[in-house]
Amino acid sequence: MNPSLFECAVAATAFKLLLIPAYKSTDFEVHRNWLAITHSLPVSEWYYEVYSSTHLNSILRNPITDSRFPFTVLENLRMDPRLPPFFAAFEWALSQFARFFDPEMLKVENLNYSSIQTVYFQRLSVIATELLLVYALHLYIRTTGDAVRRCAHAAALSILFSPGLLVIDHIHFQYNGFLYGILFLSLILAQNRRTLLPSGILFAALLCFKHIYLYLAPAYFVYLLRAYCMDDSIFDIKFWNLAKLGGSVIAVFAAAFGPFVYMGQMGQVVARMFPFSRGLCHAYWAPNVWAIYSFADRVLILIAPKLGLSVNTSALSSATRGLVGDTSFAVLPDITPRTTFFLTLFFQLLSLIKLFLHPTPPVFLSSLTLCAYASFLFSWHVHEKAILLILLPLSLLVLSSRRFLSAFRPLAVAGHVSLFPLLFTPAEFPIKTVYTLLWLLVFLVAFDMLAPAAEGRSWLLDRFAQLYCIVAVPLVVYTSAVHQWVWGAKWEFVPMMFVSSYSALGVVGSWVGFMYLYFVA
Amino acid sequence: MASPPMHGDFEAQRHWMEITAHLPPKEWYWHDLQWWGLDYPPLTAYHSWLLGKIGSVINPAWFELYKSRTLDDYNLKVYMRATVVFSEYFTYIPGVIIYVRESGKRSEMSKYDQAIALAAILLQPALMLIDHGHFQYNGVMLGFTLLALCSFLKDRLLWGSFFFVLSLSFKQMGLYYSPAIFAYLLGLCVFPRINILQLLLIGITVIATFTIIFAPLLLSGGVSQISQCLFRVFPFARGLWEDKVANFWCALNIAVKFREIFAPATLQRVSLLATLAAILPPCSILFLYPKKHLLPLGLSACAWGFFLFSFQVHEKSVLLPLMPATLLLAGGLDRDTISWVTWVNTVSMFSMWPLLKRDGLALQYTVMTAFWAWLMGGKYRFPTNPISKLIHVGTYAGIGILHVAELLVPKERLSRYPDIWVVGNVVLCFGAFALMYLWTMTRLWKERTRLTGKRKRE
Repeated sequence: MNPSLFECAVAATAFKLLLIPAYKSTDFEVHRNWLAITHSLPVSEWYYEVYSSTHLNSILRNPITDSRFPFTVLENLRMDPRLPPFFAAFEWALSQFARFFDPEMLKVENLNYSSIQTVYFQRLSVIATELLLVYALHLYIRTTGDAVRRCAHAAALSILFSPGLLVIDHIHFQYNGFLYGILFLSLILAQNRRTLLPSGILFAALLCFKHIYLYLAPAYFVYLLRAYCMDDSIFDIKFWNLAKLGGSVIAVFAAAFGPFVYMGQMGQVVARMFPFSRGLCHAYWAPNVWAIYSFADRVLILIAPKLGLSVNTSALSSATRGLVGDTSFAVLPDITPRTTFFLTLFFQLLSLIKLFLHPTPPVFLSSLTLCAYASFLFSWHVHEKAILLILLPLSLLVLSSRRFLSAFRPLAVAGHVSLFPLLFTPAEFPIKTVYTLLWLLVFLVAFDMLAPAAEGRSWLLDRFAQLYCIVAVPLVVYTSAVHQWVWGAKWEFVPMMFVSSYSALGVVGSWVGFMYLYFVA
Repeated sequence: MASPPMHGDFEAQRHWMEITAHLPPKEWYWHDLQWWGLDYPPLTAYHSWLLGKIGSVINPAWFELYKSRTLDDYNLKVYMRATVVFSEYFTYIPGVIIYVRESGKRSEMSKYDQAIALAAILLQPALMLIDHGHFQYNGVMLGFTLLALCSFLKDRLLWGSFFFVLSLSFKQMGLYYSPAIFAYLLGLCVFPRINILQLLLIGITVIATFTIIFAPLLLSGGVSQISQCLFRVFPFARGLWEDKVANFWCALNIAVKFREIFAPATLQRVSLLATLAAILPPCSILFLYPKKHLLPLGLSACAWGFFLFSFQVHEKSVLLPLMPATLLLAGGLDRDTISWVTWVNTVSMFSMWPLLKRDGLALQYTVMTAFWAWLMGGKYRFPTNPISKLIHVGTYAGIGILHVAELLVPKERLSRYPDIWVVGNVVLCFGAFALMYLWTMTRLWKERTRLTGKRKRE
């Protein structure tokens, strides 16, 4: 197939290698710090706060700040591991190789250490571990039927070249590539009835790498329960399968968390992994329902006097940036973690009901994506990076029908545009915009040509989707260049608010469309 | 492109924007010549003026007279790099696109093959790294020459002359091509029948274009401006060469230190004679057979002649013979063409390695060269002729060995020969370039009687 996955992987790798000197965020230092901690300290001290205020002060003295995110540094002061133990073990494994590049990076005291060897090592490690994703995609193409192989190939290439992964992993700096590789391997295994158990085990392991995949866990739970343990009918429970599944999942969790339970540190670990003391919205609003909610609140502040609504004045000053700490709303009612939890659960349950009744692989994939949607849109303290959890699995579904493609387009545009504020430096601006634009052009056109025709498409909704995508261009231009030029430093939260709200519209719209297709088609 | 350290050329270009934006034209070629005096023809000065004005609107501090020297502002770097990209988009890229389309049509290449040739030419690592990494505006000069070639392909000789004069007025290095272009145009006016009118028209176009370019200088300061400009542009006072570059004199100097034996005037004369001897063959062929498909070959051979034997040659000048050589891809994607073009590009990149290393562009050098070679490669990497195959394999092996040796051999062992890697580089590249010159001449000779440049795709 032209071009082959291998050729694209080479081209993508060349491009990522050239990006080694690009901007890196505080996440770079966070990961270096974890390398140092896992390498130099015993396991019992990995999750423990061993640093005094001197540590915090020294970081503050050399912060990498952007005036639009004064609180990003504060959040990242907690540089000790915030991810589950398997990821810590992964960092430990990496640190064994880091020794050969520059032993200095493994010293815990070397804060903000970024020698050229450190940069090379960390970036190369991202590129190397992403090979797992390439392998998973290769398997994916191989295991699809001949009739749809071209579509699978196109979808795989779109994931390989994903601008989201490029921006987050290779520039901003994180390790999502290989984690999505594990997810895709698990999804591929889930396509076949006989390999459901390994699929479940892999997913459990994935949860122990990064617990953000909990967003997807309900779908896995229901599907494995129904398809593996209650195969033919609900009343015919295969207890042996149930035991196998339960046992292996517990074994995986035990392998990960066991040592910490033994040391009595589970409280610490959980507190690190789930920092609920943070606010409803991240420093930059992820494009979810709460972003629209905040935006509506902001608009209402302006027109409340005219409508005679009461304004919570104490909330006025704190709601300016969606800080660490609780976000309080001036006009609309406040949101508690419990509210978000129930909302998320409700919408997830909707899709899980259909999965329970029809446990087939395509339905599984769709409900997985819907669970991700629900969690992204309604959860507490969502990171904008979580949009990939929807985008990447959805890419595998898109080519089953043209109607799916219509729902996908706004998400593709909104999702990637919402990631733009992560890279705010002028030098990275052309890279992120041109690359995303190229990707959107190439793949949306390719998908358009490959997707099989379908009936019942709404002309009006299609036009809205198109209009939405087109508006993205002037929006990006305005928020990146024009706003600063016209207003200078005034109202600097406005561009991000626009981007966030606009993207949220796209995500919500895409979600509604997808829900409709899921239940009706 | 990424932002490696830039001093030298970056500061020079920034300084020129500074002086052209703030000073009247009559001082441009006289102002503080010790600090990066302007030494390119007037079109560069006008280009710098425009960019300086635009830049001053964005941030006046970037180009403030005297105060902005060695300014290392991050946004300034982004702006400057953006100007290179934009300048290229207005000149070089349209030139390449039109040329590939025209040449492809003439050689009956399929649209797909044309697209491949276009991508290959645009991704050429040499121009990318020199213009966008090292920082220069070679794309503009090459772009104008390309536009001239496109005009020649469409039989618009006057437009062609106009564009070529623009190219010359942007950077005097374009003179490397001028004998070939002159021979081609003269040939068109003589064969099949003598056409004095066309010759006159071309002459008038050339003179008129030069006049327009130099007019602002002339009007502001008189003839002395022109002579000063020419004095800056052609520094005959400098020696035969500066740094180590892969041409004949440098290579010869390793064996015979003739710089110490002969006087500078003698050397200049010898160099002139050698250059003439090298450019005479391609120019004569172009004159006697002024055919369109011979243009890139003729230009390339002529430029190689200059590169190998002329004086004050920089390693960056390899871009000049390289461009028409790479354009051969638009004439046909057969195995011979692809393999030789890939080879010469790779060797040229290697010849610029010492410069790129100094600039901190080692990563970009490795990735771009390897990636481009991989893109062009596969079984087309080597030509069918066994001797050529041997030459290619030998050169690649040599490059590999020199790189590995440079990495592995500790510096202490080489205290007696500190420059040995550069010397090795020079010798290898000189040999390769000389061979490329011969190959181009051979092709020119073989193709001279053919009507079109159509080649079989393999």
